[in-house]
Amino acid sequence: MTDNLGFAVEAAWKVLLSGLVIGAGLPALFAVGVRSLAWGTGGTAEVAVGARPHPAGRVLATACFAVVLAGIGLGLSIIVAAGQGKVVSFDHVYPTFVDEPK
Amino acid sequence: MTEATLILVLVIGTALVFDFTNGFHDTGNAMATSIATGALRPKVAVALSAVLNLVGAFLSVEVALTVTNAVVKVQDSSGAPRSDLTADHGSALLLIILAGLVGGVLWNLLTWLVGLPSSSSHALFGGLIGATIAGLGTGGVNWNGDGSQLDGVLGKVILPGVVSPVIAGVVAAVGTWFVFRITAGVAERFTENGFRWGQIGSASLVSLAHGANDAQKTMGVITLALIAAGHWSDTGAVPFWVKLACALAIAIGTYIGGWRIIRTLGKGLVEISSPQGMAAESSSAAVILVSSHFGFALSTTHVATGSILGSGVGKPGAEVRWRIAVRMVLAWLITLPAAGSAGALMWWVGDLLGAYAGPLVVFLALVGLAAYIFVRSQRQPVHPGNVNDEWTGTPGRSTRQEAHA
Repeated sequence: MTDNLGFAVEAAWKVLLSGLVIGAGLPALFAVGVRSLAWGTGGTAEVAVGARPHPAGRVLATACFAVVLAGIGLGLSIIVAAGQGKVVSFDHVYPTFVDEPK
Repeated sequence: MTEATLILVLVIGTALVFDFTNGFHDTGNAMATSIATGALRPKVAVALSAVLNLVGAFLSVEVALTVTNAVVKVQDSSGAPRSDLTADHGSALLLIILAGLVGGVLWNLLTWLVGLPSSSSHALFGGLIGATIAGLGTGGVNWNGDGSQLDGVLGKVILPGVVSPVIAGVVAAVGTWFVFRITAGVAERFTENGFRWGQIGSASLVSLAHGANDAQKTMGVITLALIAAGHWSDTGAVPFWVKLACALAIAIGTYIGGWRIIRTLGKGLVEISSPQGMAAESSSAAVILVSSHFGFALSTTHVATGSILGSGVGKPGAEVRWRIAVRMVLAWLITLPAAGSAGALMWWVGDLLGAYAGPLVVFLALVGLAAYIFVRSQRQPVHPGNVNDEWTGTPGRSTRQEAHA
């Protein structure tokens, strides 16, 4: 019984930490993208009405959305890998599919 | 029809019914938030979720036949049924599976009637545990695993059930808080449109992951039954028709939509706004996929409910209806014993009445009770037209109030 408790605590920590980075970090980044888009547009879109448009805002927004899309791609790859009995490995920095560890 | 064929056909039929209830019970996990915030029209949301569940089911190329091994000892580690249970065309094993499935379906239907999300995998496991205790004694249950990894009823069902809603809730609360802080003051046309896409994207990932995870549980159970009955021998593969039937059953169930549960999740727990919807579904998607990556078995329902609660906690000034949350937790706590009791009762009835009448009576009991629950639900139907109405109480509760009046 204590074995299971130990394994559960170990797994729960990993899930919580990665969950926070991906599950709370990506929506926050998405929100930064939305805010940058408004900043880039200027005028009535901004917090201070009548602000000038900032082209850098659009660049920043695109960068944020690109990272979010990469996150979605990672999620898709985990689903596809699991369906083939494999896991996504980060040993080579970029994600690769490897056999599930026994 | 011989006795052996009869029970096999009933097991397959009941398994597909379970898969169907698994679909409509869980539509809300992915789509309740998008429906409540208006990001998607109700019918569009369930159609999208159904298609993604179908695709997800077919993504399960390698289906583990050892799904029951987590809780009961009826198979060896390769997925083949225990040899002492396969005599007489596997009728001993098939009766356990049939009774367990009926217990799971009944619990799914009952919780749907009162509009409470509860885990379909816990209902299935509960039913199987009950039927196994009745058929083989408590020694047939894998309570604790062998200590080498997270396993058994405790490690694969109870501990993840306690931990996962808390994790999802924390992640969603943190995400919601950040999103509100970051976008404070930005014009609504930017936030609403942005978060609409954020919600649709994250809810789609949850749907796809659901199809990939849950449909293969039924595929594994049906294939186990086929092996026990001697109609299939390959423990490394699933017959194509089984895969197709399970994928269709879960997709059709999802499309039918468990509107009573969608309403509780989308309107009952928290009044959800678009940023909360996006944070909640992102948290669900991330926790489900990260857990799958680390091999931590958990229930989509527990994660989705925890995320929606968390999105209420994380929004400054939001109201969370804790009484409904407490009712849900109570339902989760009694899922295993309730589905288990039903499974055990069904096994005793089936065993008492013998080879021909037993399985037939068990199946007819399921049909009768399901019909009764459906008729009860029609007293106060929830459908796409009223799913987003102002919250006045869970369906079960207001029915009782009417009865008193």
